[in-house]
Amino acid sequence: MAMQRMSRGRFCGLSGLSLLGASMSGWLPRLAAQVERSGQRPPRSCILLWMSGGPSQMETFDPHPVHENGGPTKAIETSVAGIRIAEHLPRVAQRMQDLALIRSMTTKEGDHTRATYYLRTGYLPQGPLTYPALGSVVGKALQREGSDLPACISINPFRALNPAAFTSGFLGPAWSPLVVAAETDADQGVSFQVRNLKPASRLSGGQVDERLRLLGVLEQSFLADRPDAPGRSHLQSYERAVRMMKSASVEAFELEREDASVREAYGRNPFGQGCLLARRLVERGVPFVEVSLNSVAGGAGRGWDTHADNFKAVGDLCGVLDPAWSALLSDLQQRGLLENTLVVWMGEFGRTPKINENAGRDHWPGSWSAVLGGGGIRGGQVWGSVSEDGMEVRENPVRVPDLMATICRAMGLDPSATNLSNIGRPIPLADHGAVPIEPLLV
Amino acid sequence: MLKLAALLLGVCLFQSTPSEPSEPSEPSAAAVAGASQSLSVAEAAAEVDRIFERSWQSSGVQPAAVSSDEEFVRRLYLDLAGRVPAVSEVRQFLADERSDKRSALVDSLLDSPAFVRHFTILWRNALIPEAFNDLSGRRLVPGFEAWLWTQFSSGVPYDRMVRELLTVSLDSGGLDGDGAAAGSVLRSASSPAAFYVIREMRPENLAAGTARAFLGVRLDCAQCHDHPFDRWKQGQFWSLAAFYSGFRPVDAEAGMSAVLAERRDSRSIAIPDKDQTVQAAFLEGEQPDWGLNRSAREVLADWVTSRGNPWFSRMAVNRVWALFMGQGIVHPVDDFSENNPPSHPEVLQLLADQMVAHDFDLQFLVRTITRTRVYQLSSRQTHESQSDPLRFARAAVRGLTPEQLFDSLAEATGYYQPYRTDNPFVISAETPRATFLELFRDEGDSPLQKETTILQALAMMNGEFVDAATSLENSQTLGGVVEFPLMTDEERLETLFLAALSRRPVESERTAMLEYVRQSESASAALADVFWALLNSSEFVLNH
Repeated sequence: MAMQRMSRGRFCGLSGLSLLGASMSGWLPRLAAQVERSGQRPPRSCILLWMSGGPSQMETFDPHPVHENGGPTKAIETSVAGIRIAEHLPRVAQRMQDLALIRSMTTKEGDHTRATYYLRTGYLPQGPLTYPALGSVVGKALQREGSDLPACISINPFRALNPAAFTSGFLGPAWSPLVVAAETDADQGVSFQVRNLKPASRLSGGQVDERLRLLGVLEQSFLADRPDAPGRSHLQSYERAVRMMKSASVEAFELEREDASVREAYGRNPFGQGCLLARRLVERGVPFVEVSLNSVAGGAGRGWDTHADNFKAVGDLCGVLDPAWSALLSDLQQRGLLENTLVVWMGEFGRTPKINENAGRDHWPGSWSAVLGGGGIRGGQVWGSVSEDGMEVRENPVRVPDLMATICRAMGLDPSATNLSNIGRPIPLADHGAVPIEPLLV
Repeated sequence: MLKLAALLLGVCLFQSTPSEPSEPSEPSAAAVAGASQSLSVAEAAAEVDRIFERSWQSSGVQPAAVSSDEEFVRRLYLDLAGRVPAVSEVRQFLADERSDKRSALVDSLLDSPAFVRHFTILWRNALIPEAFNDLSGRRLVPGFEAWLWTQFSSGVPYDRMVRELLTVSLDSGGLDGDGAAAGSVLRSASSPAAFYVIREMRPENLAAGTARAFLGVRLDCAQCHDHPFDRWKQGQFWSLAAFYSGFRPVDAEAGMSAVLAERRDSRSIAIPDKDQTVQAAFLEGEQPDWGLNRSAREVLADWVTSRGNPWFSRMAVNRVWALFMGQGIVHPVDDFSENNPPSHPEVLQLLADQMVAHDFDLQFLVRTITRTRVYQLSSRQTHESQSDPLRFARAAVRGLTPEQLFDSLAEATGYYQPYRTDNPFVISAETPRATFLELFRDEGDSPLQKETTILQALAMMNGEFVDAATSLENSQTLGGVVEFPLMTDEERLETLFLAALSRRPVESERTAMLEYVRQSESASAALADVFWALLNSSEFVLNH
């Protein structure tokens, strides 16, 4: 179903909104002034390609064709001499100049729930502290005041492994990801919608305005004598929601505005089209967008959890990943966005180098791969290595806090900058002791 | 005299030495004081109010006015029944001319199943706050709620409830079998097992969870090493963890299915990454009396819930106080420490003593708190000095739990909720209720800082449920109001206000809304717009 954008005219004069706005003016900071100031910094964005279930390093970025643990997977040349990756990613191989491979990721977390939390927040689950997902942290740090779109948008997340790893945690709901799910239609193909963005079709534009005006009357009489945080947040979120409803920026979700050839290049599937949507959102200044690859068909799942039939399963997933990711990088470059857009590829852990009896690979947190590319990253290089059998990191081990610190730095953020947590303790963007990988940074 | 003693005790308790015995056989001073002075609800409430009046006076605070009946009836229903009152319930209360109608309403709500249900949800949030973080935790929620329901519906005293939780046998709870089978057993079983499972059955997590939930002590930071400014040391943390050492460490790969039978007689634990094993000891180093054939958990439970354990009763009081007042006397609610003193130590001590004197009867505590003037103040700010929530000088404006919000929407709009019959706590995923609860689930823990997300706002504004509730064809309340022939538009307006906000419109609202209704081509459609605005207002989605 094609997305019908709400015309600005439906909020004619925005009488309802301005009434809501008027009642807020005493409490909220003046947005306009801040918009002007933030205009001076080039907007940076991050796109996270999240591989739900833990992708095999051996069949992606760290093939071991000469060792028995490598299985049947072949290695291929890339656009950078001396760097070889698995045969399943031929197009990504041609973008190697943009990418820095980390082949020495290492953690102790081999359980989906804990590892998903660890990689997505940079922290291990710990009692009462609810750590925010990376997207909320980056979104909060880089959101431009006055933006019509939320700071963090999550496309097709599969949250069941650990719902807490997909929230804004102690940063609060203002920074929680806006979740967008793909809808697939036989005629129209894949489309995306923000749920409940449109009022019921039986309501006229004037009626919607009147409703907001009546709401303004009620808000004014209640909140005037109750200037407390919950009421302010309620009003603020309504203001943001209405702004998004009437914003021209929501045309970002209308993929049918793209040339058919562009849509084709990304792949006509939820992940491919999700990557295209990510580009459209980044173009409009959204600081953080994540796209999950959960299964070949695009539905829920942890497709990379290849305990059985690993080689075919990973090959099929790469068939979706390869065109989407390579198209994203070249598209960003053509539009002059790649310089300021960091693209991260990772899952919660890797897979056992030893092949199991079901031709599968099991959970393996000890030595695996992640990839950084684009903005802030010196591409065309490999960091770290593992032993010949793939069983252990041989040089330059990278811990999760180090990865987070590197991501922060690539985004122009200080990893030791802090946010105040729900228990009143300041929490750095990357955990204490994190060391960014300097050679990977521009 | 009592007040002075309570004040002094309040100070002493924070300075008690590690060697101070607090075994049940040697009741502490606090328990003696509590036992010697059992007050009635009215007396205890009056005493609390006297303390607050003095505190306001000495700090130049002008408290807010006492709430109107309209304000009170809405707040009390939300706090005791977990939903807004029905129109008829508001009308009945407003028309009631008895002078004691407020406490009469408290009594009747405490007797209702709605109270049991609401307290079940509140205490589930308090005791297993991480339950919704993963699938295995979620599966156990209905069983935990069913267990709490049994406790509250049969009026089990708080100390007995906690003792049962801390000593429940997990061997036959389905935890040692196949994961799926365990899930289905626990789904229908009434059991507090979730308390253990969400803490991964790890001794260190259980020790930290027990200390926070029932003692108000945050030991978590002492788990890894000693902090120079923290009273709790690593050895103390692991001594408490040793009571749970009967649970073997769980294999991370295999998840919960790897938990084997508990060793009841295990009483020591090795501190990880350290060449040191510690014996089980209570919080301040007191040595347990192991007796004959008692498991480590039973010994721990006896100590935690003993009448002489000052941490236990104060934590209970602080939690219940926060449920009704938006914020604890110690805030955050489970962070009692020298660095975080209580705002009103005398109130805390008085209520803790009374809690002991009344044998840990939670209803006594609820009756007392709701009886106080400080609870019954208006939320309307009339003086600058009322803005600091630590003063409790006006009623707090608080966020609702997702359950309170949905049940209030259901009540206001006349939506009839379908429940599953095998366990009413299992909510089918496809129902509007489940969708709502998921969207409005909150990570934050202070209702005073409740925040609204864009998706929540969009769901309230444009979502199917509120849309149906404000459409003339589908809304019970709206349909009834619009179609009832004998009502004037003004009466219709008033009914919608009572349904959503439990109050009549003030003059300016009446004028604005009626003018809109009269100008519109369709008065019915205009009333639907009014109802939409009411349900989307801060006043509806907050408790105040």
